[in-house]
Amino acid sequence: MSSREPMWYCHECHAEMRPIMAPGPICASCRGSFVEKMENPEDDPRTFQQAGGFEDVAGNVDVEAFLGGLQGVLAPQPGNRTARSPRPESPRSPRFPEGNSSSSGFRFEFRTGGGSGNGGRSFVIGGPNTHGGRTNEWTNDREDPTMSEFLRQGSLDAGHDRPNITGPMMAQYLMALLGGPTGRAGGTENPLFDLLNGGDGGDARGGRWGDYVFNQEALDQVISQLMENSNAGRPVPATDEVVENLPREVLEEGSPFLEKDCAVCKEQFKLETEDPDEQVVVTLPCKHPFHEPCILPWLKSSGTCPVCRYALVPQPQAHGPGPTPGSGRPGGGQSPTGDSPSGSNNRSSGSPGAGGSGGGIFQSLFGGTASGAASGRDNLNRNTFTSRSQPPEPRSSQGGADATHNTPLFPGGWNDQVD
Amino acid sequence: MASISARRLKKELTEINHEGTPTGIKLLSADDFETWFFSIEVLGNTLYQGEVFKLMFRFDGHYPISSPAVQFVVDQTHQAPIHPHVYSNGHICASILGNDWSPVLSVASVCITLQSMLASCKSKERPPDNDRYVAHAPDNPKKTRFHYDVDRV
Repeated sequence: MSSREPMWYCHECHAEMRPIMAPGPICASCRGSFVEKMENPEDDPRTFQQAGGFEDVAGNVDVEAFLGGLQGVLAPQPGNRTARSPRPESPRSPRFPEGNSSSSGFRFEFRTGGGSGNGGRSFVIGGPNTHGGRTNEWTNDREDPTMSEFLRQGSLDAGHDRPNITGPMMAQYLMALLGGPTGRAGGTENPLFDLLNGGDGGDARGGRWGDYVFNQEALDQVISQLMENSNAGRPVPATDEVVENLPREVLEEGSPFLEKDCAVCKEQFKLETEDPDEQVVVTLPCKHPFHEPCILPWLKSSGTCPVCRYALVPQPQAHGPGPTPGSGRPGGGQSPTGDSPSGSNNRSSGSPGAGGSGGGIFQSLFGGTASGAASGRDNLNRNTFTSRSQPPEPRSSQGGADATHNTPLFPGGWNDQVD
Repeated sequence: MASISARRLKKELTEINHEGTPTGIKLLSADDFETWFFSIEVLGNTLYQGEVFKLMFRFDGHYPISSPAVQFVVDQTHQAPIHPHVYSNGHICASILGNDWSPVLSVASVCITLQSMLASCKSKERPPDNDRYVAHAPDNPKKTRFHYDVDRV
């Protein structure tokens, strides 16, 4: 910590930061207003959190236990998700799809005491254990022997008699755990990625973690997914003005329309109808006639003639190349573009498996709240990762901690409504 | 409510029953105005000779203003045709089912279009992004906004 200017502590997200004055101080990390200046060492707000805390933290699990448990979760599970089912998985229930239950029901809570005895922090991944318990055993130690050794040792003596690993070390191990399966033979599924990814497993490998990416290929994937998901090419509805100005004619004896069909309902125009509106014929500029109640709903979804596709309002080019600005439907659904590409750009470099770059990614993942967790010198063990319940405003600044929400919903999914 | 959708579907069903379906297409069931099933095969000398597929049409209350949700059925006895525009979960990337839908089209015309799409196929391949799509795909293909490439198949 800097000795010149005291840091502030946020009681909402437990970040140590310098607040934004707007004009009152608010947390630079979560925009919460429950912040406190840490100027009096005798009255450290961080002790408050340890004493009672806002979160129901399940005991003092240390860093080793966390990593060990993580490895247990990430360990390849024979018989589970070996064959990808071809059936579509509904994104409506992104939380914990069936078949993934054994790995999805876990909840990590790890809490570390500060180096000087104060400043406990908690870090929660996952949701309520709805699918029965999963014990955090780690049975395979064939990979990463050094880390496994480390983890196994941690499990035996619970880490009490050993020095905690340092922040950068933890970052390396964590990133190795997270990124490990990508490089391993056999295309091992990675349940943690799957969980964080909405349980679908589709893009878990290849450097994607939700909408965070670790390499160029994954970024391309995100972008192409967003493009496919965009409104480009969707029909533009006719404006009310255009619709109102269309010529209308009430059917009467001898009308030439009586010989014709309405192409929408495929029924002949006739004089006796239950609905008097059906005696109103709307003729489009291309001379194609329709029942008024047939054509109006269509024009509200697409300003074209159903028969000949005459465009009453300019339409996006059929099979147009990518999105054209301004061509989106005025009333159309929102496209899930927005913050994601910019948020992903920052961390598009670096490889998840490489330990050397782990710290950097780690910092960018969790760095929003960790003022000094990964890079600090005197507070290496005081990790400030937190689980937060309110959605962050700028998603990108908050980092990966948000991926730990119970219902991971990422932009670019397939669950956007059509309408 | 005699909705436009029900009236229109009733009319189509009557036509199918009276005039029959196009060659290679059979109505399997149309018990309501929500879900219809057809069998579809491509006759003649094509890559799909001898294969019979099952098509599912799902209609919402706004048919024919809104397009039907059409997909191949994938179950124990049916597979989706291997085609560059057909995903292994049965979803079909065809512009007439999405942006290019028009209420002038009908169940029969969709069947014919799909039949001809299969008939003109030159190589049996899945779409290049099949795995990714299938992993993410919504239950209803209409929820997917396909990016329609100019057809080179």
